[in-house]
Amino acid sequence: MATISLKKLTKIYGKAEVIHGIDLDIADGEFVVFVGPSGCGKSTTLRMIAGLEEVSGGEIRIGDRVVNELDPKSRNIAMVFQNYAIYPHMTVRENIAIGLYTQKLDKDEKAKRVENAAQLLGLTDFIDRRPAALSGGQRQRVAMGRAMVREPAAFLFDEPLSNLDAQLRAQMRIEIKALHQRLGSTIAYVTHDQVEAMTMADRIVVMKGGHILQQGRPMDIYSNPVDVFTARFIGTPSMNIIASEYASGAVSGNGGSPILLGVRPQDLHVGTTTDVGAGTGLSLSGPVTAVEPLGPETLVHFRVSGETVIGTAPATEIPPVGTEVTAHADPAQLHRFDAETEKALESL
Amino acid sequence: MVHPTSSDTVPTHPVQPAPRLSMRARSALWVWSFLAIPVLFYCVIRFYPTFNAFWLSLTDWDLMSEAEFIGFENYRRMFADPNFWQTFRNTFEYLIYGTPISLLIAFIIAYYLDKVRFAHNFLRALYFLPYITTAAAMAWVWRWFYQPPPTGLINGALGELGFGQIEFLGSTTNALPSIMVTAIWAGLGFQIIIFMAGLRAIPDTYYEAARIDGLGDWAILRKITLPLLKPTTVFLVVFISIAFLRIFDQVYNMTTNDPGGPLGTTKPLVLMIYETAFSSYDMGYAAAQTVVLFTILLVVSLLQLWILRDRA
Repeated sequence: MATISLKKLTKIYGKAEVIHGIDLDIADGEFVVFVGPSGCGKSTTLRMIAGLEEVSGGEIRIGDRVVNELDPKSRNIAMVFQNYAIYPHMTVRENIAIGLYTQKLDKDEKAKRVENAAQLLGLTDFIDRRPAALSGGQRQRVAMGRAMVREPAAFLFDEPLSNLDAQLRAQMRIEIKALHQRLGSTIAYVTHDQVEAMTMADRIVVMKGGHILQQGRPMDIYSNPVDVFTARFIGTPSMNIIASEYASGAVSGNGGSPILLGVRPQDLHVGTTTDVGAGTGLSLSGPVTAVEPLGPETLVHFRVSGETVIGTAPATEIPPVGTEVTAHADPAQLHRFDAETEKALESL
Repeated sequence: MVHPTSSDTVPTHPVQPAPRLSMRARSALWVWSFLAIPVLFYCVIRFYPTFNAFWLSLTDWDLMSEAEFIGFENYRRMFADPNFWQTFRNTFEYLIYGTPISLLIAFIIAYYLDKVRFAHNFLRALYFLPYITTAAAMAWVWRWFYQPPPTGLINGALGELGFGQIEFLGSTTNALPSIMVTAIWAGLGFQIIIFMAGLRAIPDTYYEAARIDGLGDWAILRKITLPLLKPTTVFLVVFISIAFLRIFDQVYNMTTNDPGGPLGTTKPLVLMIYETAFSSYDMGYAAAQTVVLFTILLVVSLLQLWILRDRA
């Protein structure tokens, strides 16, 4: 187990700088999830930690060693790839054992470790099968097994669940999280799926355009996003962002300059039942354009001054498309952003 | 909310009558109408003569008179003919040395060419050039290489360096390897391209995962690249073997004064068949030799597919 620390880490391809000097400290045993849209530099960062990409500037430490110039194999890390990278011509056992290829252990010890990893991941029944005979989830577990047998200082996951269907993804999320709790290992995990980030991470690192926008515990980021991008990226459906001039209600400006108001669909209650904050908070009205009954609640899309806003109605209230609805949000649930910089202003 | 009602499922336009043929039958009809011409062509131009050769091998046909059934006389004659066995040996020498050497050189070049970024396309084109060159032209150029100086480049260079001269095409021991070198050179471009396509098809993450797991270059080659390249290798082994079993152009063009010489030491089966058929007009005998070649090709191909089969 080990810490990972990045200092002023940069990556330059030709003339384009894609990572602009990021700083990050990952504690021993911490589960850190890098999240961001495609091309934000999260995978590049992970690949630099792994040693698959050269570091253009700055420093990477694993434990107390600077690893900038070390080969991947000397860094004592293990990586799980999006396409699993398990070898089709080898059995599950051979695939897991290849993780121990360079370790100086006797045969019995190696075999034992492979068996243990297979058992832990529920692969014992498939251990002599080839990957072609396995499902996507099982293949991903084989890739994890190969990483685990090494007992590395840290695990790196590069979008490991992206190739799985939704149901399997939800299941594997729990499995990876449980595995982390059992092994207590340091994990750096890259994903573009904010649900994975929210559900698995000890700490989320939100990246965009080669910068770290925000890092913190999932609920902190969810409750206090530092800017419009993070606010909209974390949480589903995305936070509604409304120019304050359209919002009726007691919302003060930013010393005269225009502000943006953010409200999560879950905090924007459609219908007449929520009279609690009416008058003091945010109040929006408009015609319904679409409804999505989810079961426990209903998402109501309605238009306010040409913008689509999503609010929530109770499961039983499904307003017909075209009708005029009004939605209210509590003042405490409003997020305020500067209209120009899109940075968060302190909340009311 | 507007819910679809039962009225939505009632068609608003008249139902078309079902076509007489099923969808499956119609698609089969289309497929076979497109396939008809090539199938016909193959039957008339390829399969019929092939099967006819089996029949001809049992006759004494000489183009002029009627073919007369003579049983296995042609085969008896062939197996008693020392020239046939010489040719047989030659053919297998081309095959047994030519195939692995070609394969090894092609793989080594493809393996390193795949890693080279500088002038990659240019280099690849250079290696491919011999493949698109007319076999006869290339054979003649190599024939000149092998001459004594001043024409012969190789002996010229050996002389400059103070080594003795080598008799290439005139020697009974050196002629076959000399021709084989030309044949290997001729086929290399194609094999390199195929190997490179095979190498490119292996996902990069396999190599990245291996590097993280600490496998060295040699281990990666042995445990990952070669096993994953097996389908490509199987294809090339069969392809190269067939090419060497059918070798003709290089031999014929490099030994025009005495085709297959000196003393028949470079003569492959195809050249023998050619001479039997079109110099001696002994069609029945030539057909018997063809049947032997056909059998060898079939056995070698099946054997290789069986040896290199996927055991999964």
